[in-house]
Amino acid sequence: MRRIIAQARKELTQVGRDKLTLTLALFLPLVLLALMGTAISLSVTDLPIVVQDLDNSPESRRYIEAFRNSLTFRIVELPTDEQPEESLLDNHARGAIIIPEHFGRDLERGMNTEVQFLVDASDANTANIMRGASTAITLNFVKNMRSAIAVPIKADVRMWYNPGRESSTYIAPGMLAVGLSLFPPLLAALAMSREGEQKTILQVYVSSISAREYLLGKIGAYWLIAVGEWVLSMILAYFLFGLSIKGDPTPFVVCTGIYLFTTVSFGAMVGVAIPNQAAAIQAVQIAGFLFSYLLSGSIFPVSNIPFPFSIISRIIPARYYIVVARDALVRSGDWSGVWHIPLILLGIGMFFFMVAWRNTRKMQVNA
Amino acid sequence: MKELFYKFLSLRWFALIRKEFNQIKRNKRLVIMLIIPPTMNIILFGFALNPTVTNLQLGVVDENQSVESRELISALTESQSFQVAKYYLSDNELNDDLTAGNLDAGLIIPNDFAKKRLRGETAEVQLIVDAVNSNTATIVGGYASRIINNLNQQILRANPPKVSLQTFAVEQIPRKLPNITPHVALLYNPGLKNSWFIVSGLIGALLVIQGSIVAAASMVKEKEVGTIEQLLMTPAEAIEIITAKIAPIFFLLTMDIFLALFVAKIAFGVPFLGLFVIFLLGGCLCVLSGIGIGTLIATLAKSQQQAQLISFFVMPPLVLLSGVTTPIEAMPKWLQPVTNVNPIRHFGIISRSIMLKGTDFSILYPNFLALATFCIIVVSISMWRFRKQLQ
Repeated sequence: MRRIIAQARKELTQVGRDKLTLTLALFLPLVLLALMGTAISLSVTDLPIVVQDLDNSPESRRYIEAFRNSLTFRIVELPTDEQPEESLLDNHARGAIIIPEHFGRDLERGMNTEVQFLVDASDANTANIMRGASTAITLNFVKNMRSAIAVPIKADVRMWYNPGRESSTYIAPGMLAVGLSLFPPLLAALAMSREGEQKTILQVYVSSISAREYLLGKIGAYWLIAVGEWVLSMILAYFLFGLSIKGDPTPFVVCTGIYLFTTVSFGAMVGVAIPNQAAAIQAVQIAGFLFSYLLSGSIFPVSNIPFPFSIISRIIPARYYIVVARDALVRSGDWSGVWHIPLILLGIGMFFFMVAWRNTRKMQVNA
Repeated sequence: MKELFYKFLSLRWFALIRKEFNQIKRNKRLVIMLIIPPTMNIILFGFALNPTVTNLQLGVVDENQSVESRELISALTESQSFQVAKYYLSDNELNDDLTAGNLDAGLIIPNDFAKKRLRGETAEVQLIVDAVNSNTATIVGGYASRIINNLNQQILRANPPKVSLQTFAVEQIPRKLPNITPHVALLYNPGLKNSWFIVSGLIGALLVIQGSIVAAASMVKEKEVGTIEQLLMTPAEAIEIITAKIAPIFFLLTMDIFLALFVAKIAFGVPFLGLFVIFLLGGCLCVLSGIGIGTLIATLAKSQQQAQLISFFVMPPLVLLSGVTTPIEAMPKWLQPVTNVNPIRHFGIISRSIMLKGTDFSILYPNFLALATFCIIVVSISMWRFRKQLQ
C-alpha cells in the first residue's frame, strides 16, 4: 500500500511539472465541455424562408403573419425575378411557402385549400422540425378560424423534465461523459507509453515494486486527477448550463468513481500495449473520443445505432455513464432505473485493468 | 518573372520532391493513415449519427376503455412512430416508468372521453413527453399533433358539426369547414436520410484534419530526428525545402477526396449532382488549409506527441463550429458569426450544395473566396514561421 501511494505521488509531481500536460488535464476538458455544450444543439431557430403569395388577400397575409411570429422561421424577401425553388437552391432560404390563388376566397366559403411547403431536406433533422413546425402553425391558424366548432380531440402535450426543451440539458451530460473518457485515459496512456518509449520501465523493474502496485499507483494518480476534472466540470455545468445533481446523489457519485477507474484503466491498457506516445494518443483518440462521442448516445438515442455498430456500442463505458448522468442531472432519478450500471462499468473496468496488468509484467522483456 | 519560374522548376526542386516521394514510399504508416481514418470516420459518423424517430415507447393509461379511445390509440400506433409499450392502470404507475426512463411518452385518456366525443364537445387527452432529449421531444410533439389532427379531420368529415337555425328548427344544415391542407415537399433528400447531411459535410472536416495531421507529422519528424540541419546544409533555399515538402503531401491528400466520395457513394448512396471540377477545387483548398494548419502546429511543437496534443486545442473547435454534424442555426446567436472564419464551414456549404443540390459556381463563389482567403493567410503565416525557424 505504501508503495502504491509513493508511486501515485511521484506521478502527480511529474504531471505538475509538465505545463502542456497540466493544461491538458485541467483546462482543456472545461473548454471542450463549454464548447460542446454550447455549440452542439439541434434546436434550430430563425430559419430563413421565402413566401410566394399568389393570392395576396387579407387571409393570406394573416397566414403569413402567423409564420412571421414563430420562433422557428424568419421570413426573407423573395427576389421578384426568382422562383421559390431557386431560393432553396442558392441557399438563400431553407424553405418556401407557396400560397395558391383563391386562398382567401376558398377559406371564406368554408372550403378546403391547399398550401405547398418546399423544404430543403439536405439537413434531414432540421427538415423534420420544419415540417412539424409549419404543420403546427397551419393547424393553429385553422383552429382560430373555426373557433365556433369544437375540435373532437385535443391533446394537451406536456414536456416533462425539460419543459423549455433546452438542448444543453440533454447534450451537456453526454459531453461530460465524452470529456471524461478522453482526457483521463489520454494522460494515463501518455504516462505509460512514455515509460516504455524512454525505457524508464527498466528502472521500475529493478525497484522492489510489483507490477500490480506500480499499475495501481499510476491509475490511482490519474484517477485523482480525473476526479478533479469531474468536480471542475460539474461546477462549470452548474454555472453555464444550470445543471446540478437532483434527487439521490449516490448513484451518480458511485458510478462516476467506477467510470473514471474504467476510463483510466483503458488509458493504462493502451499505454502499456503501445510503447510509442504518438501512436498511443491516436489510439485513445479513436477509442476514447470517437467511439464515446458517436456510439454512446451522446447526441442521438442509442437505439438508432444500426446493427454491427450497436454491438460495439455495448462495450463503450460512456454509453452507461451517460444514462446515469442524465438521470441524476435532469430526471432526478434514483437507484431503481440504474442499479445494474455500476456492475457493468466495474466489469469493463476490471477487464481493462487485467489486460494492462498482464502486459505490464511482460513490458520488461520487450523493453 | 520568367527567371523565378525557371528557378522554381529547377532540377534541385524536383530532386527534393523525389526525395520526399521516396521517403513517403517507405513510410507504410502514412499510407495507412491516409486510407483507414477517413474511411472509418465516414462510415461511423454516417451510421451512428441518426436522429430518426420511430418506434417511440408509449405508455397508455386508458381510463375510458371505449371504441373511441381505442381508435385514438390505434391512430397513434398505426404510423410506426409510436409503439405501445405497456398499458397502465393509474397515472402514478405511468409516471414511475417515465421517471425511470423506460418510456418516451405517456398518453392518458380520461374516463369521460367517449361521452364528450359523442356529445360533440372537445375531448381532452394528456400526452406526456420525456423531454430530456429536446430534439426527440420536439419531433414527437410534431408527430402527435399531426396524427391527432388527421384523426380530427376524419371525424369531422364523417359527422359534420350541425348548426340548428332557430327559424327552421325542424332542419339542420351542415356547417362549413374552412381548412388548409399543407403539402410538404422534401427537396434534395426526400428520404430524410441524415447520413447524406453528415457525410456530405464531413468530407471537408476530414480533409482539413488529415492535411494537418500528415503535414505536422512530416514536418516535426525532420525536426525531431535533426535531419532538418542536413537539409539546410544543402544549397536549397528554405522556400524550396518547404514547397518540396508540401507538394507530395498535397498530391497524396487529394487522393483522399476521391476516396471519401467513393465511400460516401458505396456506403450511403449519397448522390453527386453538381460539377466534379469545382468540388475538386474546393477540396484542394481544404487540403491546403489543413496543410497550413499542420505546418503551423509543427512550428510550435518540439515532438510528435506535442504536435498531436496541440491539435487537440485546434481541431475540436474547428469541427464543432463548422455545422457539419449539427446545424449552425441551432448554435447561440453570438456564436454563429464566428463560424464564418472556419474553412470547414465553407467547404461544408460547398460540398452539400454541389452533391445534393447540384448548385454551380456562380452561386457558391463567396464560399470559395472565403476558403481561398483562409487558405492563403494560414499557408503564408505557417511558411513564414517555418522559414524563420529554419534560419
